[in-house]
Amino acid sequence: MPELTYREAVRDALSTAMRQDDDVFIMGEDIAEMGGSMGVTAGMLDEFGKERVRNTPISEMALAGAAIGAAMQGMRPVAEIMYEDFLTLAAEQVVNQAAKLRYMSGGQLTVPVVFRTQGGAGWSPGAQHAQQLEAWFVHIPGLKVVFASTPEDVRGLLWSAIYDDNPVVFFEHRTLYPIKGDVPQEIEPIPIGRARVHREGGDVTVIATGRLVHESLKAAEEAERDGISVEVVDPRTLQPLDEETLVSSVKKTNRAVVAHEAVTRMGFGAEVAAVLQYQAFDWLDAPIERVGAKFAPLPFAPVMENFVVPHAEDVLAAIKRTVGKA
Amino acid sequence: MATEVILPRLGQGMESGTIVRWLKSEGEPVQKGEPLFELDTDKVTQEVEAETAGVLLKIAVPEGEVPVGQTVAFIGQQGEDVPEVAAAAPPQEETKAAEPEAVEEAPQQPAAVVSGNGRIKASPLARRLARERGIDLRSVRGTGPEGRIVAEDVERAEAGGPAPVALPTAPTSTGEVERIQLTSIRKTIARRLTEAWQIPVFQLQTSADMTRVNALVARLRERDPDVRATVTDVLTKISAQALMRHREVNAEFTDDAILLHPRANVGLAVAAPQGLVVPVIHSAERLSLTEIAAVRSDLVGRARESKLRAEDIEGGTFTISNLGMYAVERFTAVLNPPQAAIVAVGATEDRVVPFDGGTAVRPMVTLTGTFDHRAVDGAPAAAFLQTLKESLEDPGLAL
Repeated sequence: MPELTYREAVRDALSTAMRQDDDVFIMGEDIAEMGGSMGVTAGMLDEFGKERVRNTPISEMALAGAAIGAAMQGMRPVAEIMYEDFLTLAAEQVVNQAAKLRYMSGGQLTVPVVFRTQGGAGWSPGAQHAQQLEAWFVHIPGLKVVFASTPEDVRGLLWSAIYDDNPVVFFEHRTLYPIKGDVPQEIEPIPIGRARVHREGGDVTVIATGRLVHESLKAAEEAERDGISVEVVDPRTLQPLDEETLVSSVKKTNRAVVAHEAVTRMGFGAEVAAVLQYQAFDWLDAPIERVGAKFAPLPFAPVMENFVVPHAEDVLAAIKRTVGKA
Repeated sequence: MATEVILPRLGQGMESGTIVRWLKSEGEPVQKGEPLFELDTDKVTQEVEAETAGVLLKIAVPEGEVPVGQTVAFIGQQGEDVPEVAAAAPPQEETKAAEPEAVEEAPQQPAAVVSGNGRIKASPLARRLARERGIDLRSVRGTGPEGRIVAEDVERAEAGGPAPVALPTAPTSTGEVERIQLTSIRKTIARRLTEAWQIPVFQLQTSADMTRVNALVARLRERDPDVRATVTDVLTKISAQALMRHREVNAEFTDDAILLHPRANVGLAVAAPQGLVVPVIHSAERLSLTEIAAVRSDLVGRARESKLRAEDIEGGTFTISNLGMYAVERFTAVLNPPQAAIVAVGATEDRVVPFDGGTAVRPMVTLTGTFDHRAVDGAPAAAFLQTLKESLEDPGLAL
């Protein structure tokens, strides 16, 4: 099995799709010569040319709208929004146009567009360049939302996102770009809407997304030393949500921790907790614990940033609370 | 908020413990993991460590017996208020008085933490389990955070706690695999049996005519109805005598020697609610049948109430396991190390046997001995079993 970084895995999905399918192209700010602010599309201009690797003006609303228009005309564009913080500028197009057109046209139109974006703290980018805004978009009927945490998942899911006939908001995490992982020789599409059990356990289920998947796996190993057996599940697709896998895991372990980097309040984890308490009520032996960032803008100062966002020890503390060992 | 220090459950079947003394005084800072107080239980005296760091704000129970799960102290920040102690810890005398009866019958007073509006604090899972198994949550003591009843507490209550108030109408199967968390006693049983399984053993079997033993038991009951003698008592006595005659069976294998014990301390395998226990009748060779019956009755009774003390289960040199009451004809028992022998007793049942030159229907029992071959060879073990058979068939000779 070849090993790719998360960054290379994204690039591999894009390049492979573009090689085999003329309908697929990418667009975004500084993605061509510069290779994107995170270097994800580096080298793609040379292979595919500027018609298919399109630099856009610095207007997220304009580039999102152009991508939606191309999608309506039968293309499969992948638009990069440099920071997910800037999705707020494209929100009109994503929320009011992309998400609605198939429904409002009675199915006459489809919008097979992907909005790739990235965010996340851990490198001191400040309050406007590191937010985790997935909760804004899972709230919108008509959008699919993906948040992959490993090279294998990001490649297989991006592939499925490109070939999904609905608009997909595709979140990547800044600090995951350099991580390496085994991927299949050939791209294996990962179905949208299916969770992944990273680790099996019997006492507590930790449902985590993005960077927190890795933090949760660390916490699970720590917990194991205390005799607590932890199952770690990554939903991978936030919308639609693989409720069945999450609920059956919690029915097995009777305890749940929901963990993400976004602020806890009104976060994606709140919805997961609601799903679990409703569908697994009679199986719960402890309150569902939530782990997330403190309700504050992200500080520039590294020490402060570190204080605001959650880490493995926060997940571990939550695990211990659920088994009454805190 | 101040953290409650809860009386922990230290081992199998522990319902309460006695605080001997505090190793920290009020107002003293405490590190996580530092010894906090000395706790006496059925089995051991142990130092209990602090689970959180802070200042020992209040000792709610200075000493005495306390049920598992009760608040005994508070740890928090200096100057912090602690909740009313009276609410958390009932006066000591009351606890002492209430404890012994509470175990036997339906509870007089709620053991569960009940909030102001009368709602019992229990997890949804605990509620469902209690509902399915017909257990009244009011009778269950919660050991979860802030006294919450969690699933484990319900399982414990079902296994050994107070009797369910309402019997389940018809046990409904949910169609799902049921998961029963291992209790500490179950883990101990599993570990010890796995160890025992490593020992090279052999089995010998014989059957005995129980006509005279039955007559003897009937006579004993007639003479002393208060002490209800049983076949097990006769078996205990006869085994003890046989062990004294065949001391090589009353043995223990160690790395550099075989130990032959001077007394016949006979263990009886008892199915206690929380699992198998083996209380020991010490020096059974010196006791009369009536004395053995009295000791046995006391031990088995306490085993079923999970009230055995350490000395009740220690020092056994031989074990009897009797499944006769379940109509088991014969079976082989797993050795109870470090003992070198165990005898499995089946049901006394009428069998057609050769008798007096013809055939007859006689009450017969089959005994199966399991022996540690490292300590005992086949011939002496066979001789021991033969003595058992002869003594059962003619108990007068053994006594």
